[in-house]
Amino acid sequence: MRHLEQELVTLRQDVIDMWKLVISQVANSGDAVLSFDKDLATKVSMREKKVDAYELKIDSECENIIALHQPVAIDLRFVLAVLKINSNLERIADFAYGISRVLIANPTVILDAEVISDTKLRIMIDQVNKMLAQGLDAFENEKSDFAAAIFSEDYQVDEINNDAAKIIANYIQKNPDRAYECLQLIAAFRKLERIGDHCSNIAEEIFFYLDAKVLKHAQKI
Amino acid sequence: MLTIDAKNVDFYYSDFHALKNINLEVEQNKVVAFIGPSGCGKSTFLRILNRMNDLIDGTRLTGSVLIEGEDIYAPGVYVDELRKKVGMVFQKPNPFPKSIFENVAYGLRVNGIKDNTFIEERVIESIKSAALWDEVKDKLKKSAFALSGGQQQRLCIARALAISPKVLLMDEPASALDPISTAKIEELIYELKKDYTIVIVTHNMQQASRVSDKTAYFYLGELIEYDATTRIFTNPKEISTQNYITGRFG
Repeated sequence: MRHLEQELVTLRQDVIDMWKLVISQVANSGDAVLSFDKDLATKVSMREKKVDAYELKIDSECENIIALHQPVAIDLRFVLAVLKINSNLERIADFAYGISRVLIANPTVILDAEVISDTKLRIMIDQVNKMLAQGLDAFENEKSDFAAAIFSEDYQVDEINNDAAKIIANYIQKNPDRAYECLQLIAAFRKLERIGDHCSNIAEEIFFYLDAKVLKHAQKI
Repeated sequence: MLTIDAKNVDFYYSDFHALKNINLEVEQNKVVAFIGPSGCGKSTFLRILNRMNDLIDGTRLTGSVLIEGEDIYAPGVYVDELRKKVGMVFQKPNPFPKSIFENVAYGLRVNGIKDNTFIEERVIESIKSAALWDEVKDKLKKSAFALSGGQQQRLCIARALAISPKVLLMDEPASALDPISTAKIEELIYELKKDYTIVIVTHNMQQASRVSDKTAYFYLGELIEYDATTRIFTNPKEISTQNYITGRFG
């Protein structure tokens, strides 16, 4: 195997490992919130540094490949896409950490089970996890069509978020004493919605890498 | 406007079919890079553009090659006249055993120009165009062999420019030079394209991507892909091109 190919294989594996870690961070932060599991939230918080370390490592590998090997064509698109995917994954992990912090920073908060059910928090968490997994599947198997569904799923996530805001606003009117907890819940929804946006960004990069298509700012569905 | 227009060109070294149905157009004031593995036909095609292959026994060409609309293989075309229009720079600098000044003046003198004032003006202009003036202005009477390899190569470019060609052919012009001299040649190519149409053969992919507007990829005597250099080096249409430029074969 040529030197550049070895470097690309290493980079690819590091991205896949980071991706899997980020998927588990999002899943664990969601589970922690839904089950009020502070230990799990703490675990997410502790593993956040590991994601940051991956980000720095991958950035450095990309920089070295560009400086030392001057990749072109699909190799260049791969490295450029990885740089952006790396950044998006790190932001997703930040949001997962932020969701887990809701529990850690507010030890007395108990979210109302009915409002959690009505706002479809579980569905939203499952949806963004599914989008992250689809992106990884497309990247690992080099099949851009595996990532195509992410764009429409992002719209679904946006809709759940919009609906949730209305439901929570109504709930606050009826239960003004629970306003603080509700604000925490709105913040969690907002973070999940942003995770959906980052998944969509990642899907764009997968299309750029594999098909040389620029979907940024374009109508996708 | 097209400066070079090759149509259905086939070329043979005796029985060997070296180039197969090449169709390629080069616009005025553009730089085109020919790339491909050794033996792919890129240098053969470059030499076709000023009939250098005529010197090789047993070669045969079919199709047509137009330079500024004139078929250079048509009966009655004088090769000497063609080479005034199409200059060439080779892989290794090949100055004549003469002074720096006389190297550049040579083409003018063999073309019968006797006006020494005109010759001097043209020599100075050519050396300046070749980005060599500041380095040689005080030693024009000295032997060209006293120059470094990079300076000799720019002197050869000045020599080619002196006869005011329309097209400049370069066959791996920087492959024998150090990185600084190579950078000077590449800068020079960028400057020269304002006045000339340039075709360069190179094995250096980065050089092709840095200096050219369009890139032609040759393989086994065929022109596989010819497109904007930005396209070739970011998203080539042909998998064969991609495999070559990414170093996966060749």
